[in-house]
Amino acid sequence: MGAGRDLYGLRKDGTEFPVEIGLNPAETPQGLMTLSVIIDISERKRAQEALATQTRDLQRSNAELEQFAYVAAHDLQEPLRMVASYTELLSQRYKGKLDEKADKYIHYAVDGAKRMQRLINDLLAYSRVTSQGKPLQPTQSAAVVANVIETMHRRIEETGTEVVCGVLPTVNADQVQLAQLLQNLIGNAIKFRSERSPRIRIDSREQGSEWVFSVTDNGVGIDMQYAERVFQMFQRLHERGKYEGNGIGLAIAKRIVERHHGRIWLESEPGKGTTFYFTLPRLGELPGRRFVARDDAAISSVA
Amino acid sequence: MKAIHVLLVEDNPADADLTRETLEAGKLHIDLSVAIDGEQALQMLKASYAAGTKPDLILLDLNLPRKGGRQILAEIKADENLRHIPVVILTSSDAERDVAQSYTLGANCYITKPVDLRAFQSIVAAVEDFWFGVVKLPVTGHGEPARADP
Repeated sequence: MGAGRDLYGLRKDGTEFPVEIGLNPAETPQGLMTLSVIIDISERKRAQEALATQTRDLQRSNAELEQFAYVAAHDLQEPLRMVASYTELLSQRYKGKLDEKADKYIHYAVDGAKRMQRLINDLLAYSRVTSQGKPLQPTQSAAVVANVIETMHRRIEETGTEVVCGVLPTVNADQVQLAQLLQNLIGNAIKFRSERSPRIRIDSREQGSEWVFSVTDNGVGIDMQYAERVFQMFQRLHERGKYEGNGIGLAIAKRIVERHHGRIWLESEPGKGTTFYFTLPRLGELPGRRFVARDDAAISSVA
Repeated sequence: MKAIHVLLVEDNPADADLTRETLEAGKLHIDLSVAIDGEQALQMLKASYAAGTKPDLILLDLNLPRKGGRQILAEIKADENLRHIPVVILTSSDAERDVAQSYTLGANCYITKPVDLRAFQSIVAAVEDFWFGVVKLPVTGHGEPARADP
């Protein structure tokens, strides 16, 4: 009773309090009567309102951060283009014509500008995971993997990489982002290869209400003490210049996985290779919920 | 043979200089005029029409103060004395929507300014080669087609 309306009770002292009223038929010797139960839900209401306020605040804060990140990265592009272009022009016009120090200064300036550009592009890519994310839809992960491998076929051939796939399921995903995720993991597997011929295996298995995907390589491996750090923005485990890239690929991968309601982690041994695992909810499953009662009309859920 | 006359509509002087430098470093002799906003561009175009010195090509940035680039594009293509001049959109945006809208409004082609200077330099060279080497341009005010000096 009272669904969609707020009901209030009145205490003897005149104060009001929110109530929930349940009405049930009751068979009594005197005939059919109504049993009414009146519950003081003040506490429950307080908790609900606090939660709603917190959710609103978080959503607004999130939206503001998104916008900040996007605007910052976007508006930085133009002045950066000026710096990059004019230092490059200086280099083209005056290299070798001034003294050695000038050449060096110009070189560092040009290099700095280029790195700034890459950083900003990476930041934009990171913020686009949410700003350009599309709704999740049933997607054949096998087809996505096949496409990614096709896209990367030149690099795969050049490096003599062998890619093997197990059976891969249909999942709820943003197809473009799933492709980005896989391209990142496969790309890393190739990039961080050892002297051995790179071999990559992509597999999946069911685990409860999730699919656990794995991307396994026989590359240089990762020291497990850094297993969490690798997913942070701009964290590098090797000296700058040893491997290309800024260190944002895995941060983006993590963001994509989390947008898909999954988790990502790794297991590795230096010198042996690495396996990256990520989960995606099974089709039709809502993440983190177990259903205790099901019928055609309604579903009760217990978190 | 007349020199080639190009009108650049660009509000950022550093950007305009970059384009000028790059054009000057090219093979062709190009007379570059610069308008710093849409209004000035239209004034210069109308004046040039009266004087018989219309540009052979317009390079148009979309990101202009006051009257935006799209509006200028629309007005140029609506003006029967100006609509024959090829308009090359030269802008930093690579948004699908901007590209589509520009072509719909009658732009002759759309170029996204690359971040990298060398890429920009090869694009400018490509524009020169294409518009003044490959394609035929309409006859200009003096009844003589603009032609690239070899």
